Amino acid sequence: MGSPVLWGTILAAVLCVFPSRRARADDTPLTQLPDVHAFVSQGFMLSSKNNYLTRSRRGSFEFTEVGLNLTKAITDDLSVGMQLFMRDLGPIGNYKPQFDWFYLDYHFRDWLGLRAGRTKLPFGLYNDQSDIDSARVPVLLPQSVYPTTSRDFLLAQTGFELYGYEPLPFIGALDYRFYGGTIYLDSTSLNAPGTTVTDIDVPYVAGTRVLWHAPSPLDGLTAGASLQLLRIDLDLLLSPDEVAGLKQAGVVPPDFGDTFKYKLPAFLWVGSVEYAAHDLLLAAEYSRWRYDYKIRPEVVPDGNITSTRWYVMGSYRVAPWFSPGVYYAFFNTGAKGPDTRDKYQQDFAVSNRYDLTPNWLLKLEGHYMRGTAGLSSALNSNLPLGELARDWTVFMVKTTAFF
Amino acid sequence: MSLVAALALGVLSPAFASDPPPDFRVITHPSRPESSVKREFLADALLKNITHWPDDESIRPVDQRADSAARRHFSETILRRSVQAVKTYWQQRIFSGRGVPPPELDSDDAVVHYVEAHPGALGYISGNVPIGKTKVLAVSP
Repeated sequence: MGSPVLWGTILAAVLCVFPSRRARADDTPLTQLPDVHAFVSQGFMLSSKNNYLTRSRRGSFEFTEVGLNLTKAITDDLSVGMQLFMRDLGPIGNYKPQFDWFYLDYHFRDWLGLRAGRTKLPFGLYNDQSDIDSARVPVLLPQSVYPTTSRDFLLAQTGFELYGYEPLPFIGALDYRFYGGTIYLDSTSLNAPGTTVTDIDVPYVAGTRVLWHAPSPLDGLTAGASLQLLRIDLDLLLSPDEVAGLKQAGVVPPDFGDTFKYKLPAFLWVGSVEYAAHDLLLAAEYSRWRYDYKIRPEVVPDGNITSTRWYVMGSYRVAPWFSPGVYYAFFNTGAKGPDTRDKYQQDFAVSNRYDLTPNWLLKLEGHYMRGTAGLSSALNSNLPLGELARDWTVFMVKTTAFF
Repeated sequence: MSLVAALALGVLSPAFASDPPPDFRVITHPSRPESSVKREFLADALLKNITHWPDDESIRPVDQRADSAARRHFSETILRRSVQAVKTYWQQRIFSGRGVPPPELDSDDAVVHYVEAHPGALGYISGNVPIGKTKVLAVSP
């Protein structure tokens, strides 16, 4: 199932079987064909000085995304859906297909619906859309708040979700979601040289997002807040060489076996504001993520770290086929000590989106980056992040077809 | 409300009978008791934020092709977004598993036939085409 060829074959077969939906006069929910939608993206990334997300210094095409979804209304109030997704982004994904989301949804009232299954996490304005290239101007959402390398942790949960939409007299409308469940993680994706994650578990993830949509004449103004609680437990197995090195350095006691046990409870929140009217979009979000850490044996005292993340973003559709955009994103890891380059990342991005046809787009994007927080040491010759270049640039081209 | 705004919102009255037709008219199934709807209700219904009429009947919204003049006028006037922005909104919904857009029909006639055939249907057509057995709804700000 991991073969891109096999995946493409399945995609083609499914698309041939299901013609696109057309409404007919005798349509009822059950007699309609399922809604079928898909996208295919291919990108190219080139950076100066540091590798970013992939081996981008030499130029990399390891920047592929494919998604296919089916949605079917069984009755007016009951529907089911699923999306298969695969990607390749440097060391992430490797064309391994997975269920991005699947659900059954019962819509009791507009103010109360229930979803069960794997649903995207509503965190901030765009987390649940972070894979959807056709739904935005930039290639990359601001990585301070929507880090693509944390997609497995942040994108979707398996459990339940309550949601609703309620117009309020004179003061607009509320759009709210409450969810709880767990996150299934692939432990192999976290392995690093000398260490193996032998067990990983998310005993809980729970949270909410509440958005307020302003009334006329402020149509298009949205403000809101999102909260998320989760805990990640993992067992980390060290290689004999790593264990010997730690014992020699006195970091672990002489009777240390070979496994560290981590518990990482986390609390994330983000405040959001967006103005989207006619062809203009302005957005800003401010977020803080707190992780408490407990490591056994206790090689470091229990503690916590709180990162700060925010961005401002704007775009304007100049013509139906052309939308430029710009954002500035800031990320500080919150690590104690001097404000060295490995503790922050500032990202100034300029994007151009060209809608070549109604179902095909091309994007060009440039980033000027300062700071190395969030970079991968493994992608940069295992150098400490503090030794990488402070000022660097990234250029991206990406094309997406969708329907 | 100015005459131009009233026409743009589909509010028709005999006093304006000799004026040019509005850019679009909002139509619903003849069994619906409403004679008018608020603009925000109409926008929420077409964007599927609201899925039921006040008496709990399901709303069956229907849209027009992205390149139709009626859709362009409806989108700018009622949804307060360009057609492209609305398509982006539906891309977000489709690929995040939050819903699918209303059916897009090819012509005013097709919309009229759809609305006639579906109780609870809600759509819009160009201002100068026959409405068949459907019912025109006035739109209040």
